[in-house]
Amino acid sequence: MLDVSNLVTAYGKIEALKGVSLRVESGRITCLLGPNGAGKTTLMMTIAAILKPRRGSIRLAGTELIGLTPAQVVAQGVALVPENRLVFPQMSARENLLAGAYQRRDKVAIAADIERMYNCFPRLRERSEQLAGTLSGGEQQMLAVARALMSRPRLLLMDEPSLGLAPLVVAEIFDILAKLNRDGTTIFLVEQNAHMALKVAHQFFLMEQGRVTFQGTPGELAEDEVIQRAYLGTRRGAG
Amino acid sequence: MIDFAQNTIDGIMIGSSYGLLALGFTLIFGVMRRLNLSFGPSIMVGAYLGTLLYLNFAAGPIAVAAVTVLGAVLAGIYVERLCFAPMAAGAGIASMVSSFAIWMQLEQAAILLLPRHTYPFPSLTTGAPLTLGPFQLRADHLIMLACALGLSAGLQLLLYRSRFGLALRAIIGNPVAAHLVGINVRTAVLGAFAVASAIGGIAGYLVLATDQQITPMFGMWATIKGLIAMMIGGLGSIPGAILGGLVLGCLEAHSQSYFGPQIRDLSAYILLFVCLVLRPGGLLGEAPTRETIDRRRA
Repeated sequence: MLDVSNLVTAYGKIEALKGVSLRVESGRITCLLGPNGAGKTTLMMTIAAILKPRRGSIRLAGTELIGLTPAQVVAQGVALVPENRLVFPQMSARENLLAGAYQRRDKVAIAADIERMYNCFPRLRERSEQLAGTLSGGEQQMLAVARALMSRPRLLLMDEPSLGLAPLVVAEIFDILAKLNRDGTTIFLVEQNAHMALKVAHQFFLMEQGRVTFQGTPGELAEDEVIQRAYLGTRRGAG
Repeated sequence: MIDFAQNTIDGIMIGSSYGLLALGFTLIFGVMRRLNLSFGPSIMVGAYLGTLLYLNFAAGPIAVAAVTVLGAVLAGIYVERLCFAPMAAGAGIASMVSSFAIWMQLEQAAILLLPRHTYPFPSLTTGAPLTLGPFQLRADHLIMLACALGLSAGLQLLLYRSRFGLALRAIIGNPVAAHLVGINVRTAVLGAFAVASAIGGIAGYLVLATDQQITPMFGMWATIKGLIAMMIGGLGSIPGAILGGLVLGCLEAHSQSYFGPQIRDLSAYILLFVCLVLRPGGLLGEAPTRETIDRRRA
């Protein structure tokens, strides 16, 4: 569904992505692992057109996304749940969801989708009229996911949904991801929490210093000694 | 006592025009997190076009008002295109400095257009002031107050009840997230400039119709009054803008009456200073905390 090839994105003279190529298969959960500073967030922000790349191409089902504005990328059916969630703090949870449906004009269907989100994330129904800035980290993460889904994306991009959340909340978020995927949404996930990702993802990429250095299935990932040591921590007895 | 009450009434009336100027300022500042020093001068451009129409064609108040507002909107869009649209996020100083340059440019353009220092501006109403017991009320002042209250309520409705308002509040909340939900941020920002300039144009028209004259200093006057009223009321707050305008207007009216016209302007700066020391966020604004400062920088 998503084909990234030879993507180069730079901040001034420093190249954060040094020719990244990867493929996200339709209907799957694809996970991108990697240490801090590897360029994972830069890749997500480049796909969402917040950052402009120097070179390369990003194709969504054959359509080139480079050169489009962020709003046009959303119109193509891509939604990003950004790192640190970035909810609209001074708006109620409900208004955040309405903002997520900004490009849609079908009021009846939008109301039905908000109801669907409340069924999927019951906590958001309780917090409906509360300002998003006052929600807990886990609630804000759920709100950010629900807000992204309100645009009815074909491809959901998620940048570290587990960041700063308690293990129980992380498990809840991953349950929801698996459920969304079963309902047909393609998911491309950036994650440092490899243990959780191993349970849900079908395909893995590892990124280090702006390059993809490994790709494989969960089985291949679990067998790779270097990755085991660095990301699963089994040799340190932390797993 | 009667003097005090009459001064307060006059202060509220003229303060409502400051409040309108602050309203335009605060909308631009809220959306951009940048100061637009050209706000007043772009209103002046509209007003000069209105004067030109009045001098050459003896146009009536409605036509002059329409041209003033339209001219202010076009000048506002011009400022946005030149000073704000091309500047990358984080280059707030560049926007502010270039808006100062455009201020100078617009002021010179106005002087070239009408080279004498002072020109007449048509008044909105004629006739003696209304008397209410011992107090006098001017009809154009009442219109000013009604416009300030009406427009602030209208702006509140626009922000909280419309799709365009949702987009603006999203941009105020988090510009990156606004992009991510598919809002066309550039168009929305341009719209915010147009609305702010229209409000400024109405304020400028009402002030000038009351004064019945215009000078090239009007741009600076409007920027300074709007800026001070916004700072006193609270950055980014709509009720704060109106309240800041009324407080400033009352203080000026009292200090003029007790200490004379020289002290009038000085008192405004003293009030701004005291306000910034005691309540840096303004009367109704959020106090700048670590978090809000970081958000503004982002």
